[in-house]
Amino acid sequence: MKAYHLFRKDLFSEIRNRYAINSLAMFIIVTISVILFSVGEETISDYLSGGLYWVVVFFTGMSGLARVFVSEEERGTTLTLQLIARPETVLSGKLIFNLVLTLAMNIVITFLYSALFPAFVIKSLMLFFITFILGTLGIAISSTIIAAIISKAGSKGTLYPVLSFPILLPLILILINLTKISMDGTPFGEAIMDVLFLASYDVVMLSVSYLLFDFIWKD
Amino acid sequence: MSYVIIAGISFPIVEKPEAWYHFPLIPGLGENAKIIFFHVPTAWITVLAFLMSTIFSIKYLRKKDLDDDGKSQTALELGMVFCILATVTGAVWAKFTWGEYWSWDPRQTSIFALLLIYGALFALRSAVENEEKRATLSAVYSIIAFVTVPFFVFIMPRIMKGLHPGSADDTNAGPVVNFKMNSNMYLVFVLSVVAFTILYFWMWRVGSRSLNIKEKLLKNYR
Amino acid sequence: MEGLYLFLEKNSIYIVMIIVLIVWAGVFLYNLKLDKRLKFIEKEMKEGKK
Repeated sequence: MKAYHLFRKDLFSEIRNRYAINSLAMFIIVTISVILFSVGEETISDYLSGGLYWVVVFFTGMSGLARVFVSEEERGTTLTLQLIARPETVLSGKLIFNLVLTLAMNIVITFLYSALFPAFVIKSLMLFFITFILGTLGIAISSTIIAAIISKAGSKGTLYPVLSFPILLPLILILINLTKISMDGTPFGEAIMDVLFLASYDVVMLSVSYLLFDFIWKD
Repeated sequence: MSYVIIAGISFPIVEKPEAWYHFPLIPGLGENAKIIFFHVPTAWITVLAFLMSTIFSIKYLRKKDLDDDGKSQTALELGMVFCILATVTGAVWAKFTWGEYWSWDPRQTSIFALLLIYGALFALRSAVENEEKRATLSAVYSIIAFVTVPFFVFIMPRIMKGLHPGSADDTNAGPVVNFKMNSNMYLVFVLSVVAFTILYFWMWRVGSRSLNIKEKLLKNYR
Repeated sequence: MEGLYLFLEKNSIYIVMIIVLIVWAGVFLYNLKLDKRLKFIEKEMKEGKK
């Protein structure tokens, strides 16, 4: 059993019932429309729209990304997975699936957001692109390992944002800061420090989740 | 018992910082400077308790001994208490020095993040019924939280501009401790930190032992 | 409230006192919790002997 096969299995079952995709899509619409309604006739400043972008990403991610492990627990297939695959394989498969999901979600949000908010103009696209990729990676990794914890704990829905927020907080703060910088049109070289922080966060989270997944998975 | 004696000896010295009347008060702070003897130790214990909780979490994951989980949980409880204390004392101090209770200074953000992590851990612990599962999950979560905390407590306040001493735009950047203190004040400060640390360890030992006895009693009668 | 604030601003040693009281209140509350736990243990021990 390879990680790729696990990913394909998840993808096919997702395409069949479209639970996560539907809830993510609806959440994007809901969050953006709530922001649009609350803004009303006011004009949003540039920096505020950059910050609100990551608010949309965070809340949308919280709605659907826990599905990967919770669905296994709900269908009662956890034991089978424990028998046929090694823990690392399971984590890799789920991680790839969540990564694809987060990437798709973020791309949709970015296009929708830049269409609906005239203030959201990125001047240095290169920097924003790197921020976007590294941020997607970080959100996918953290949400996958937290989803694994959640699936083993009793109450699933409410606990997920509570547990994810403190872990994602450093990431989101740096992301908001970098988005502001890229809206100013700062060249890539000047923001290298923040980008390095982002990359180190991703690497640290990735290694920690591979180290600790064993303990969560088999008990 | 030895802890009690040491604590008893050191407290009378620390509780009366007013006994030294030769403080050259820090300009711009006045008498408020004496808050440092209580504010900094609480913040330090918050981080120390978090560190100890993580160490016992790792120990639990290696040996699967529920006593270690009790020790970790007691450290968490104490850390939560001192985290709230550090936040509140910091906010009161900020009101009279910076003019606002809360101004999202990088250090205030970092203590807020610690508060959130402690809260999340308590939420996680209350959600799981099974003892071993609860211990494993909270141990894993506290390790994950511990690798993200350095971003807050140690790196972010240093690179970002802020009002708190030790920030990037502070003229005498460096450890927060050694700014503009004379030897008298420094002595009291060090004594206070040591005494608070001893107090913490004492409370932690009493707390963890009583918690473990309670767990064992509950197990026997069930 | 305004008068209290002005008073505290002038006599800032009282702010120090407030901070000290807050810290000791926190320690006190934790000890109260410990006391409760010990009471529980004592009760359980007595019931166990019967």
